[in-house]
Amino acid sequence: MAAPAYPAWVTRWVSGQWRNKKRPPTLRPPRTLALADKVANRREQPTEATCITEMSVMMACWKQNDFSDTPCAKEIKAFYDCVAKAETARKNQNEDTLSSRGNLPSSKVNKLLRRFPQITRYV
Amino acid sequence: RIMPVRWSRYSPSYLEPEVKKESYQKSFEELTEEEREEMELKAVRPIKAAPPTLSSSVFSDPMICKFTNMMMKSGNKVLARNLMSQTLEAIKRKQVEKYHKAPENEKETIECNPYVIFHQALNNCQPIIGISNITRGGKTYQVPVPLTDNRKRFLAMKWLITECRDNKHRRMLMPEKLSQELLLAFNNEGPVIRRKHVLHKMAEANRAYAHFRWW
Repeated sequence: MAAPAYPAWVTRWVSGQWRNKKRPPTLRPPRTLALADKVANRREQPTEATCITEMSVMMACWKQNDFSDTPCAKEIKAFYDCVAKAETARKNQNEDTLSSRGNLPSSKVNKLLRRFPQITRYV
Repeated sequence: RIMPVRWSRYSPSYLEPEVKKESYQKSFEELTEEEREEMELKAVRPIKAAPPTLSSSVFSDPMICKFTNMMMKSGNKVLARNLMSQTLEAIKRKQVEKYHKAPENEKETIECNPYVIFHQALNNCQPIIGISNITRGGKTYQVPVPLTDNRKRFLAMKWLITECRDNKHRRMLMPEKLSQELLLAFNNEGPVIRRKHVLHKMAEANRAYAHFRWW
């Protein structure tokens, strides 16, 4: 005869632990079971440095031409254009929209949540 | 034109004075819509007093003014301006002497205008990439960083002035030494250009740390 597979409640009843008036585990939550009005502070990952390729191209050109500026004028101009573009992009980016990685920083999230708090009691 | 000033005693309704003569010589029909609105605004709003350094003459140059201000010590603008004019005169004298001594075919290549020489020398002295100290994990690294135009101009002028003040003969006066340095910088030689190259070499040596930048 194979080992009879009883459902779990049968085994537990048969073991007799409930006859000693064992109470089911009471839930004693350390905090109230409700959504808080703030999120935890998360360390914002720093954005990547811009214009690194242009800079490395310019430095390669410098290495070849002994750091003089006249033969490398095109690379230098490209670097300046890249820097200007990055500067305008930084100024124009709106902080209230999602960042490039699709996350809002925790401070902005907290500000939004403070505007629409969780209702804890009805008056 | 915005004047960045920390504590201005003027109320925000005060407008900047317009110094250029050309803007007053235009007749009413030539103005665009925005310019007409600006003129109407200026008729109603109060105007700030023009500072003594602001001039409407054709001979005034904002770079030269900035350079004189940087050369000025303890507010002695009279001395700084005299030194600057003596420098420009010295440059002109040297270049004219060279011009008269040069053979015929080289006479066109010699530049005699001291303002052109000053601007070209400043452009040659401006560094293209700078270095900033960034601390990561307790250690400070020298990270190559792009500079703004203002910072480049400031560094070029500062290097010129410190070079002239430190490395000179005991009895040599500032105009002569400055004219020497400006002519060397105009030809891409001299200690200031060398300092710029040293900065570029340091930036090139530290290019591995370029990723530490976050802007």
